[in-house]
Amino acid sequence: MSAVALPRVFLVDDHALIRAGIRAELAGHVEIIGEADQVPAAIEMIIERSPDVVLLDVHMPDGGGLAVLEGVVKTNSDVKFLALSVSDAAEDVITIIRAGARGYVTKNIEGPELVEAIIRTAGGDAVFSRRLAGFVLDAFSSKDLPGATTPPTLDPELDQLTPREIEVLRLIARGYAYKEIAVQLDISIKTVESHVSAVLRKLQLSNRHQLTNWAAERRLL
Amino acid sequence: MAISKRTSATKTVAPKRVPGRPERPFRRSADGAVLGGVCSGVARRFGVPANTVRVFTVIGALFLGVGLALYVALWIGVTRRGEGESIFARTSSDKREKEILFVVSIAVITLLIALRTLGLHALGLFLWLLTLSALEGLVAWRGCSSDEREHLRDLANSSVLKATTNSDGWQGVAIRTGVGVVLALWGISLLSRVGYEQGAAAYVLVGAAALVLGLFVLFAPWWIRTVRDLSYERRARLRAQDRADMAAHVHDSVMQTLSLIQRAADNPAEVTRLARIQERDLRIWLANPEAFGTSTNPPTLLAQSALEIEREIEDNYGVGVDVVVVADIALDESICALLAAGREATLNAAKWSGAKDVSLYIEAEPGQVSMFIRDQGRGFDMESVPDDRQGISRSIIERMNRHGGTAVIRSSPGAGTEVELRMPRRPDTA
Repeated sequence: MSAVALPRVFLVDDHALIRAGIRAELAGHVEIIGEADQVPAAIEMIIERSPDVVLLDVHMPDGGGLAVLEGVVKTNSDVKFLALSVSDAAEDVITIIRAGARGYVTKNIEGPELVEAIIRTAGGDAVFSRRLAGFVLDAFSSKDLPGATTPPTLDPELDQLTPREIEVLRLIARGYAYKEIAVQLDISIKTVESHVSAVLRKLQLSNRHQLTNWAAERRLL
Repeated sequence: MAISKRTSATKTVAPKRVPGRPERPFRRSADGAVLGGVCSGVARRFGVPANTVRVFTVIGALFLGVGLALYVALWIGVTRRGEGESIFARTSSDKREKEILFVVSIAVITLLIALRTLGLHALGLFLWLLTLSALEGLVAWRGCSSDEREHLRDLANSSVLKATTNSDGWQGVAIRTGVGVVLALWGISLLSRVGYEQGAAAYVLVGAAALVLGLFVLFAPWWIRTVRDLSYERRARLRAQDRADMAAHVHDSVMQTLSLIQRAADNPAEVTRLARIQERDLRIWLANPEAFGTSTNPPTLLAQSALEIEREIEDNYGVGVDVVVVADIALDESICALLAAGREATLNAAKWSGAKDVSLYIEAEPGQVSMFIRDQGRGFDMESVPDDRQGISRSIIERMNRHGGTAVIRSSPGAGTEVELRMPRRPDTA
């Protein structure tokens, strides 16, 4: 986090008010290299400027954040995405993460936390909000849905969380910061980060069919 | 013909790609298709103009309907360009499709045999081939890919058919009137021939059908348009209704909140509280507009009750409560006790900690339900708390113990407080 290389951030949101608010909160902590309020323009400019992190609004006309993410990843898979949304619907969260976003935070996040999340994303780590951690715990622990006809293709490597990962996720869901988790579990912050990244990988790659079903069924909260 | 034999022979012997010769697998055309893309596919396969094949197909179709039956058979049997398997393969691997097809075939064949027994020999082979084609067509329609179905739908909405169902345009009127009058006349002539002939009833049936069909063709446009207009109108009305509901709701709640916020502009805590209530309101409403405002009865599920706690504390104390629930379950007596204890702990945090937000985490595991209430407020020293707080802590712990659960309170000055509640689940609900 030295003054030499601030993370280069690109802002995608269709509300000018929100963009202005985010810009003000991030001023001095990151370098904002551009902003867009439309899907096609965002894709074009992100590919052209290849920022470190894209702050991505999930709900926009013309396909929203998902369309931007998919459009960019096709040509440049190095750009990291941090989804930013007012919606906490499980379906949105799971969909955008599985499409490749490195994390998901809600718009009521405090300024310093957002900066921390951006720096973490730029460094290649995952960013889990409390709610996302709760979703993952729920989705990975829930039993097969009664209506499911095909048995889950259980790849133990991808379809199950290790006890340690569950512990870390629970602490995140309880509102602990990474630093506090490290203290609580007596491990280094780096280890916490690697656990969370491992969970993100599982979340993105696991073909547990419940994951999608679960998200679709869970409408409220 | 010679070409076809040679290429098919080389195909079976050497399925590998021969350099210099373009590969031309027999596929139904997807882009140059008029109906099923069979003619254009045949044309491409054998290197002849597509329209030639089409002319021969139409002639073949007029000649006893052989061409038609063959055409539809190829439609079903040949894979469409860009797709993995033919309609036949797709249908035969689907048990339900096969059953439907079987039942329809049996019904149609029974009808034909019935007509035959009634003495309708005249239609003979033509009728059988026509029936076969119709059945094949049914298979094609049911089994085609969504992309192809889109194409067929476009076709059904295309100009020629439109013209026959729209009253405007002299061609449409001409075609429709022509077909309608011919069918009606044929029907009447069949009906008028009924005499002392064996099996005359068959002619009556066919004649009546032809007459009805003719009348339908004549009057279909008017009828279809009426139906279509009605359904358009109904849909438009529903949309308008939705918009009105939405506007009414947004107007009611948001406008009121905005005016309240303006009035409380110099009181940040009140503004935050109002904004929070409005935000939660809208979020719940957007997630489930039908259920909004209708649930006056007490909640029966864990997540619902947690939201109740969130609502109550946020509305009354202006402190944000951030709820995360893992695995929703039905409530029972001990879980209600857990929730009551949790509510008290949340209230406690909202009142005393000085923190802006309280995190509420509930997880239902198979064996137990745990609840964590955490704030990052001022915290307190467990040894030297004032009596009133001690009382609250004690009441939480006692309440939990009474129902077989446990409560642990961790706090230190400056580091916030976390209350941990655990309640075992009764085996029958686990």
